[in-house]
Amino acid sequence: MGIVDAHHLSKWYGQVIGLNDVTLSVPPGITGLLGPNGAGKSTFMKLMTGQLKPSQGAITVLGEPIWGNPALYFRIGFCPEQDAFYERMTGLEWVTALVRLNGVDEAEADRLARGALDLVELTAVGDKKIGAYSKGMRQRVKMAQALVHDPELVVLDEPLSGMDPLVRRKTIRMIKEWGRQGKSIIVSSHILHEIEAMTANILLISQGRILAEGDVHQIRELIDEHPHTVHIRAERTRALAREFLAYDDVLSLKFEDDAVVVETGRPDVFYARLTELAASGELGVIHEVTSPDDNLQAVFRYLVKP
Amino acid sequence: MQPSLWSSAVRIFDLSLGQMLWSRRSVFLGLVVGGPVVLAVALRLAEASGLLFTLDRPRPAGAMLYGMMIWLIYVRFIVPVLGVFYGTSLIADEIEDRTLTYLFTRPIQRAAVIVGKYLAYLVCTGLLLLPSVVIVFFLVVPLGRGAAIAGLFPALLTDLGMLGLGLAAYGAVFAFVGARLKRPLLVGLLFALGWEPAALLAPGYLKRLTVAYYLQALIAHEMPQDGLRGAFLQAFREVPSLGTSLVGLAVIVGVGLWLAGRTVERREYVLEQ
Repeated sequence: MGIVDAHHLSKWYGQVIGLNDVTLSVPPGITGLLGPNGAGKSTFMKLMTGQLKPSQGAITVLGEPIWGNPALYFRIGFCPEQDAFYERMTGLEWVTALVRLNGVDEAEADRLARGALDLVELTAVGDKKIGAYSKGMRQRVKMAQALVHDPELVVLDEPLSGMDPLVRRKTIRMIKEWGRQGKSIIVSSHILHEIEAMTANILLISQGRILAEGDVHQIRELIDEHPHTVHIRAERTRALAREFLAYDDVLSLKFEDDAVVVETGRPDVFYARLTELAASGELGVIHEVTSPDDNLQAVFRYLVKP
Repeated sequence: MQPSLWSSAVRIFDLSLGQMLWSRRSVFLGLVVGGPVVLAVALRLAEASGLLFTLDRPRPAGAMLYGMMIWLIYVRFIVPVLGVFYGTSLIADEIEDRTLTYLFTRPIQRAAVIVGKYLAYLVCTGLLLLPSVVIVFFLVVPLGRGAAIAGLFPALLTDLGMLGLGLAAYGAVFAFVGARLKRPLLVGLLFALGWEPAALLAPGYLKRLTVAYYLQALIAHEMPQDGLRGAFLQAFREVPSLGTSLVGLAVIVGVGLWLAGRTVERREYVLEQ
């Protein structure tokens, strides 16, 4: 038995299929859920966190059905994709208020919340309003609320979305560390390199179906055959572009508002160089790195080709 | 151990009250609730400048004006409007702001979310409405012949209790509407400003399907009996006994909250990405 077991699980939104006849067992440890936008990742995560009820089939989490079983949330933490908060609260107030819903008293809730903020390296800004947080901080405070009650299973929906390279690297390290400490983590992304940096165990999902389960490396070879687009929002985009032109893996680049968009043939090498650049600060601040899922879509089209 | 419904509701109340009090909705409805205060100030200024016509009635003009304001402005308009705007938003705001996920992935009964938010609604609307009534009382009652404020003070306390019950009843009804329907505000406004006045004017038992019918028996003020205005007001005056009213309002609160809690427990809320 896995930490999450789905048996002919389907979910429809009216006429639209969100998840289609999925049967699988997720093992303990870190598992990556990889698929393009609209593939069904969030639907699957909402089903495994009991926010949605299966239209057909069944899903159990840690051996118990999750829908209508609130006691199971003592053992599960969920970090949703949406960038939504009670903006007027400070990070500490928000995490404290949420962990109080687990039934702990105020003093204990405060202690746990401070510990969780420390875990995601937000102690210094715990007393600032969430509305004043950067995108990376907002992502991490969401993780803090998911971890604050020390759950056995943590479900993270696109946790690295919109983070700058340094925070992204730190967050990946954190997630791996939580895995080493014995937590089971299910993390979704549409970027293979993010998942690959955390775990070799992946679930490939597309059009509501699980296409493949298992080792990431075979998929990676397929990905590398397709150019990968990276969108970098930065302080000095022209200086960055000049630097990128010297890289042999960069196939093309263009400017969009305050961003430079790069197409690379070797994303792993490019991301490594970009992180070094961000760390050195030589070419100004890199605010945000995102990747559209066009390249992954191409791989999925290849995988589902008859 | 899973916390009880009540203890979870109290924690949701703690989490929600500040958000509710300092929302744009509160600013907007604060202006609505401020309307009668502005009117009362205008009446006082008019009287001071000699413009206000002093009515020669058996009862002091100020007390009568205050009673009319309670009846027509607060009971008929402000209380239902507060109920609609806040009650329908208890769950809808969390859906619109996409923060419902955080509450529904905690080890609490989902019904605790609606109960806690309903308690926050009662405090928030009470803080908005009741000071307005008190200010209007002290500004309007002394108008004209200058009625004795002390003599009418028990009526003020009755009014505050009656308006509190009105908020509780409308809030419970609209909490259910908000939990159940996709466009709760429109339905709520149709109910409060369309169905309720229409049903009260209709002969027969339809008026028993309104909140206002049960609230009317608790209004401490008599309305004028003569003239067009009196006839108009009279149309609303078929009231049940005090006991029936209190039981009716208690049933509305209980059933409304039970239905809202049951809906939230069973319904899937799909948040937009």
